[in-house]
Amino acid sequence: MTDSPTLTVDLRSDSLGLALRGALNLHTTPAILNRLAKLPLPLPGRISVDMGGVERMDDCGALVMIRLQRMAREHDSAITWQNIPEHVQEVARFLRLESLPETTRSTKTKPGFLARFGMKTLHVTDQAGNHVAFVGELTVGLFSLFRHPGRLRLGDTITYMQRVGVDALPIVGLISFLLGLIMAFMSAVQLQQFGANIYVASLVALAMVRELGPIMTAIIVAGRSGSAFAAEIGTMKVSEEVDALITMGFQPTMFLVAPKVSASFLVVPLLALYSNLFAIAGGLLIGVTTLNLTPHAYMLQTMNTLTIFDVNWGIFKSAIFAVLIAAIGCFKGYQVRGGAASVGQATTSAVVTSMFMIILVDSILAVILRYWRP
Amino acid sequence: MTSPVISVRGLTMGFGGQTLMENLDFDILGGEIFVILGGSGCGKSTLLKHLVGLHKPMSGSITIAGMRMDPGDTETFHRILACIGVMYQGGALFSSMTLGENVALPIAEYSDLDQGDIADLVRLKLRQVGLEGFEHHLPEELSGGMKKRAAIARALALNPGILFLDEPSAGLDPISSAELDALILRLNRTLGATFVVVTHELSSIFTIAGRVIMLDKKSKSIIAEGDPRVLRDTSPHPFVRQFFNRRPEMEA
Repeated sequence: MTDSPTLTVDLRSDSLGLALRGALNLHTTPAILNRLAKLPLPLPGRISVDMGGVERMDDCGALVMIRLQRMAREHDSAITWQNIPEHVQEVARFLRLESLPETTRSTKTKPGFLARFGMKTLHVTDQAGNHVAFVGELTVGLFSLFRHPGRLRLGDTITYMQRVGVDALPIVGLISFLLGLIMAFMSAVQLQQFGANIYVASLVALAMVRELGPIMTAIIVAGRSGSAFAAEIGTMKVSEEVDALITMGFQPTMFLVAPKVSASFLVVPLLALYSNLFAIAGGLLIGVTTLNLTPHAYMLQTMNTLTIFDVNWGIFKSAIFAVLIAAIGCFKGYQVRGGAASVGQATTSAVVTSMFMIILVDSILAVILRYWRP
Repeated sequence: MTSPVISVRGLTMGFGGQTLMENLDFDILGGEIFVILGGSGCGKSTLLKHLVGLHKPMSGSITIAGMRMDPGDTETFHRILACIGVMYQGGALFSSMTLGENVALPIAEYSDLDQGDIADLVRLKLRQVGLEGFEHHLPEELSGGMKKRAAIARALALNPGILFLDEPSAGLDPISSAELDALILRLNRTLGATFVVVTHELSSIFTIAGRVIMLDKKSKSIIAEGDPRVLRDTSPHPFVRQFFNRRPEMEA
């Protein structure tokens, strides 16, 4: 067998002689372990290890000793250590090598199916309780706000109105404008075949005001502000600020949640209206440039199509979405336990849950509207 | 002998089926500096959170100033909260508010003082902890020690009779730590408030503690109660002597 700078192997029929040299550390140990693993089996009855040449050994180097001991035990070989330097003995004593457990594999056993089922059930019921408690607390809090509006923290509410509403104006405007543009463009290709160019205006106006305006706005708000609410409250939980609020006698729902929900409730419907305007402007641009419509004709058709009910319905839906997004964001923030990873999960979960709820509630409202106003 | 302001009887606490401590009984007397000791992870901070009503005990009762702690009973809970101030481990200052606003928050909520008077009072509070002139700084602009002192100022805002401090000197350099100890002693002397302190800084314990209890993780109970200077030499429990003499467990 070939020798390496750190290991000499002398294999005979009845004995195996090994000599370790130099430094046993993270760099040299893998090669040694590799060579030990490739020794022909079965091992002879006697193994002697000469450690006289070892200059340095750290805990990584100790792995070699552990491996040799294990190999000897598995093959019923007698192992003798020779010339162990004092510094190696010192390391061995410090690491308590003589009392190393048989296997160092993970001893944590996975709980059985029933145990996991039980734990999951407990978790779900616990969660359900939290949901109900939060919704109840929020409802009570908001109703008491209606009776005593003075208890709303006005400064915070205005700050959040700015963050949720004003700061979102550019992105909502841009996305809505492009959406209106695309809708007009795509429908124009079809409607032109029938000479029904003018109905592009109806299509854009109705689709935006009734459905897409509120939904697009809500999705943008969920991504911008719902996530921010969850992260903000979650971080406050981690840094014990929520605990501090409680022991100072403040109700966290009134202090943290009410301003966010109220601010969203007030500005998101306005954002949706603004989104409608930009989408119609996008449609107008296509109508005028590619469909030979005059701006006047386009706007007249838009106004003839829309009823005041359509506009109100869009605003109503936006207000519901706003409360949902803010409440879900705050609730997910409250759920944070532990540290940074939990804040990340809460943020993701806030956005995903909000979007799901937006689509779900929108569908339910569409069905209700269908039967209520045939 | 002063009467107890906090009485804990048969308190068992823990999370999710696992108990941390079982059947704790102790009293905290009015005006004393009472220190809760124990190894890392034994439940000192958790006990503190039980004492201030943030966690619900698994069984047993906590009575503060003659009122039974029960977070479900909102009215009593708020009356108890009115007599206590809490300083959390990391300070827990509201990061979106300046130092002055942090301290002013409870004052504005619970008193009828006008803005100018509140500003003066805030300055006085910050003067007590040596942070006058930092009213307009945000918490992120302060060092760790300053944050802790600011948190004490906020806990002092409504002049509570009982102050809970969670690891006030942890992570501070020896000078800041000693300054904080001196501050606690001075506040205790001048305000006459009761202090409940969680710590494991030995120097702090011998400087400030009037009486200590030591929690033990293994037996889930109190293994020592009394004057730390006496316990250091005479406690029959080896862990207690190890703790006070700063000796590692493995060589005992």
